[in-house]
Amino acid sequence: MILIISKNNEVTTTAVIKELIAMNKQFIRIHEDEVFDINTIKKRIVLTSHRNQFFLDEVSAVWYRRGAIEFNRMRYQNQSIDRYMFEVQHWLVEYVLKSLEGKKHINKQSNSHVNKLLVLEKAKEVGLDVPGYFLAEDMEDVIVNQTIVKPISGTPIIDDIKEQHNGIMYTSVIEQKSESDFFISFFQDKIEKDFEIRSFYLNKKIYSTAIISQNDEKTRIDHRRYNSEIPNRNVPYKLPAEVEHKIDLLMHSLDLNCGSLDFIKSADKFYFLEINAIGQFLGMSNACNYGLEREIAAYL
Amino acid sequence: MFDLSNRLLVAHKTIQTTDEITMRFFNLYSDIFITKGYNRILISDLGRNSSKLYPLELYELIAELKSTSIDRVLENYEPESKIIVQEYIDYLLEREYGFITKEDWDRNFSPLSYEYQDYQPISNLFIEVEKLTISETLIQSIANLGIKHLAVFCRSAASLQELISFDNAFENTPLEGMEITSAYTTELTKDSFALLQRQSQRIYHLQFYQCQEIPLLSNTESRFTLDFTKDTLAINSCGKVNVADFNTNMPKVLEAINHNSCLHKKLGIDVAGNIKNCPALPQSFGNIHEMTLEQVLRQGAIQQYWDMTKEEIMVCKDCEFRNVCTDCRAFTERSHTNKLGYDISKPLKCGYDPYSNEWSDWSLNPLKQQAIAYYGFKPLNGKK
Ligand code: SF4
Repeated sequence: MILIISKNNEVTTTAVIKELIAMNKQFIRIHEDEVFDINTIKKRIVLTSHRNQFFLDEVSAVWYRRGAIEFNRMRYQNQSIDRYMFEVQHWLVEYVLKSLEGKKHINKQSNSHVNKLLVLEKAKEVGLDVPGYFLAEDMEDVIVNQTIVKPISGTPIIDDIKEQHNGIMYTSVIEQKSESDFFISFFQDKIEKDFEIRSFYLNKKIYSTAIISQNDEKTRIDHRRYNSEIPNRNVPYKLPAEVEHKIDLLMHSLDLNCGSLDFIKSADKFYFLEINAIGQFLGMSNACNYGLEREIAAYL
Repeated sequence: MFDLSNRLLVAHKTIQTTDEITMRFFNLYSDIFITKGYNRILISDLGRNSSKLYPLELYELIAELKSTSIDRVLENYEPESKIIVQEYIDYLLEREYGFITKEDWDRNFSPLSYEYQDYQPISNLFIEVEKLTISETLIQSIANLGIKHLAVFCRSAASLQELISFDNAFENTPLEGMEITSAYTTELTKDSFALLQRQSQRIYHLQFYQCQEIPLLSNTESRFTLDFTKDTLAINSCGKVNVADFNTNMPKVLEAINHNSCLHKKLGIDVAGNIKNCPALPQSFGNIHEMTLEQVLRQGAIQQYWDMTKEEIMVCKDCEFRNVCTDCRAFTERSHTNKLGYDISKPLKCGYDPYSNEWSDWSLNPLKQQAIAYYGFKPLNGKK
């Protein structure tokens, strides 16, 4: 039985589930509002929520997509006992989570949110080209129009920044230097790009898409006249073998077996930008007829 | 700009080597799909969901550009033709069908797979009923097969209650949408449609025939669209081939390349319960009162037309529209069969001639009169 940990109504999950049904594979989808109790039946650990019940040893594979599997914690009146039982339950929950992660899986709850800065360091270690970057609290070293600023955090969305408003942070080019100091920020050299590449990695296999937008006017790509209403073109692409090999090394060093990686192609170089372990990939998959939802379902 | 065919004159001179200058190469994007017809080609942009017609000579040029550099290709033509070739290349770039690289093609751009993949065993079910009701066993089969779309042709007038019950009968099944064609009863008023709107979940299109006075216009806020016609409709009103119905989208085109665009993964049940590819087809593979849809599918015979692509169908195989066109196996010109006895004739209700590139009214075509009489269509049936 396959365990799927995701959020309600998450479209990629639904698409993969359709494939699982067609393949006659049994699965349980855990929703974000589910909380599990850990019990035993005849010496076997059983997890129970208001929607689902299953034995831990029944689970053959786990797909961690979004959200988390949550557990109930019992509280006790006596504070010392409460403290002690807190620890007991902590070990029990950890045992369950580790057991799940020890099964055949696609991604893990514990490491699917990657640290951008660490990822860039690892990427350099495995030999990928990475645009020059630095952290700073002022713009002294910034070269106007040649430097971009990016969020350090995984999610660029700031909830409730103002009443009724969420903020979203984009990557942007610095066009004017700011005099004042600010919170430590991430700056990166702006790369003149031919086009972008998004690569989907699943257990050593890499499916890449070239994303051609009309703004990528450069010598090698000559689109001549263009119209701003024309959407990007997403077509199948194959990264050179040595770049694919480095991607594999990088994913291994991060203990990820699935995720999307962004690159910029500039002349003969492929600059690595970032990894998103839980990003959306169906749009690219459909445009390139890769059938990734089927690949995921087949792997589980 | 492209109405003149065969203007390109090839220069019969020895090709000089031009190694000294950096050669330019034209790369066609892999989602640009070209269908070659008898006189013209159709270029389908699968990434941008559009198709356009071009003269045949562009086909040859694109083929040349796949194996030869732009500069060498240009050398092959006489000066006047060179200008036209350059115009074509400019046009291809302008449409963003491709891009230019120097020294070599960008070989990292990989081909698009034309494989058609779809997890559903059956995509559509088309049923013809006397009264708008459905049996429990059929609902169960629809659920088992994961059918998502249902089309119903009702030979009598459906009441409001029947419409609501029919929709609600599919509670807890994967059925996502249904369209119903029914005779009209004046009992259905504006208010009935408002009620139906609240109490139905799956109906997205309703068509009423034999309606003298239209009770309301379809409004855009409504979950379903409404059509009314004074005419009497029958199930043989289907199968017309019109340019307006051609659409370019990747799943549809891939399906047409690999399968029959009319019958692939479709099932039909006629008014007598006969299980067919389409209710309008004569051949039955079992009766719903005696067999389930699953049993009929397991027999494996009903799938006979599923993989018959337009490449096999007479006339269509020379038509530039064949990968964006619908097909119809129910009403054909009845002129050809293949070795297995399957009908490979052109759809009857298509007025297009790929050899002359003209559209005409199919029902007036003298060559089709025999087939028209066979199906019992009235002579003017095809008029708009
Ligand atoms: S001949 Fe008619 S039916 Fe056949 S492919 Fe062309 S347009 Fe379609």
